[in-house]
Amino acid sequence: MSALRVPGLPRTVLRLHRPALIVWGAFVAALIGWLVWLNTVTSSAGERERAYCDHHETCNILDQLNYGQRTVWVATLVCYSSLAVAAWAGASLIGRELESGTAQLAWTQGVSPARWLAAKLAVPALLTTLGCTALVLAYRRAWSAHPGLRDGDWTSVTTFVARGPATVAYALCALALGALTALLLRRTLPALGVSLAATWALHFALERFREHLWPSVTRVTATEDVWPRHVWQLESGTIEHGHRVAHAGGSPCEGNPAQVKQCADKLDITGYYQVYHPRSHYWPLHLVESGIVLAVAALATVLAFRLLPRRTRAARKESLA
Amino acid sequence: MTALDIKAPVTARGGGESAGLAAVLLRLHRPALVVWALLVALTSALLLWAHGPGADAAHAEWLRICDGGEPCTWGGAITDYYRARTLAEAVVAVLPLPVAAWAGAALIGRELESGTAHLAWTQGASPARWLTAKLALPAALLTTGSALLVVLHSLLAATAPFPYDWRWHSQNLPSDGALALVNPFLGLALGALAGLVLRRSLPALAVAVAVTEAVLATTGCLRNPHASSPSWPLRLVETGLVLAVAAAAAVIAFRLLRRRTV
Repeated sequence: MSALRVPGLPRTVLRLHRPALIVWGAFVAALIGWLVWLNTVTSSAGERERAYCDHHETCNILDQLNYGQRTVWVATLVCYSSLAVAAWAGASLIGRELESGTAQLAWTQGVSPARWLAAKLAVPALLTTLGCTALVLAYRRAWSAHPGLRDGDWTSVTTFVARGPATVAYALCALALGALTALLLRRTLPALGVSLAATWALHFALERFREHLWPSVTRVTATEDVWPRHVWQLESGTIEHGHRVAHAGGSPCEGNPAQVKQCADKLDITGYYQVYHPRSHYWPLHLVESGIVLAVAALATVLAFRLLPRRTRAARKESLA
Repeated sequence: MTALDIKAPVTARGGGESAGLAAVLLRLHRPALVVWALLVALTSALLLWAHGPGADAAHAEWLRICDGGEPCTWGGAITDYYRARTLAEAVVAVLPLPVAAWAGAALIGRELESGTAHLAWTQGASPARWLTAKLALPAALLTTGSALLVVLHSLLAATAPFPYDWRWHSQNLPSDGALALVNPFLGLALGALAGLVLRRSLPALAVAVAVTEAVLATTGCLRNPHASSPSWPLRLVETGLVLAVAAAAAVIAFRLLRRRTV
């Protein structure tokens, strides 16, 4: 009997959440479709404009701007798709069932609470992973297709996430956080709000902290130099009396080389420094961030499973009373 | 049971009844009230900070490093001012969406789903009055809070600590003027309508947010993001359109309610 139930449980989850499955599928398909449109219709218009601009004094750049901005929009939707997952997992997947008592009923019908939660997490985890992977692959292809029309570099907040497995990690973490908050609060709408806020806070914190996730590179030069290309600029300044002095607003010495030298001598500037992440730091930074997010996801999952026996006891007590 | 039975206690007590309804509403949605009060307080604090110490520091930094007329890189103080201002504007800009979510799910959808609304209608609160209270009270509180934010923002926008073209932000974020006051009504009305049509909290939440975003995006198309100057007649048309859609949604909600309960 119980051997028959195992495949039935995931099927139940799928049937119960068919609307969510349809919305998720439509979302993934629509974004991929939009990317294809952007990289066929919009990009060719943009490239035509760019070719025209190369040979003319004045030109229109509307299509180039559209391509860049809309691609950033797709990146934003891919990056923050985890927020929708968090809301859904907190409210619809777990919160509603605990509030209405459906979960408690299921636990008395031969489905053990642990197996119930495992099915509730595993099936959506599989489908979110598939959807997010498809989105990331499509976005990566689109992002590298037209570098000349691109708006923003690899460092821009949403593109950074949308180009790699961090997208999947954030979605899985949102699922786990949703389940945990729902088990803690046992009410649909508060679980929705708290789970959404927690996932947003995780995004926010890691966006702020991202540059510190891998050691940066410091370049010291005798004379002031321009930044290397495609780097994530963190800080620059002068070396005075052997100490670094950050200069946010450009160099303290300007003019022709002789003037600069005279000014630097007067200020006792012995060199210039630049702190940055080269483009090769993308994967280390990205993978460390993905690892942190996955660790939070694992922690939330473990806490959710540990919380479950307490909920079960409470449910049993209620049904006895 | 007749309509007379329902109406009798209402006409007997008149004003006291609606005051009671408002009190119940405030108590039931105290978490939402607290969240709204906190949001207004924090955003006001952010705007006041930007207007006072933030602007002073940004202005000093501007004079120190950027006043030469040559291209320069922003320092910390200018970035802080910029972030505070755009964050406050973003809060005002996205407000209609959480309002729609709340109105669709917590305010209307949940009560119809659980049957609390039907119980209330048998306890002396006529359906029309029930919905009126549910729309009027949040609308009043939303307007009060939004008006405070709009006033503080116009104070901030009046004095710029450094030359910068804020028009792009102001065009995309309705933080200055009528749109900031009107857009939350749209969320409220569409949320209520979605709650009444679907009678389930989570579907109503999703539909309300999606439809509100769609309406705002459509009316926002009136603005040309690449235009060099804001066009005031267009802005008025946009405000009028948003208000018209909100009013239409409210009217349909009342009609639907009457048809449901008669």
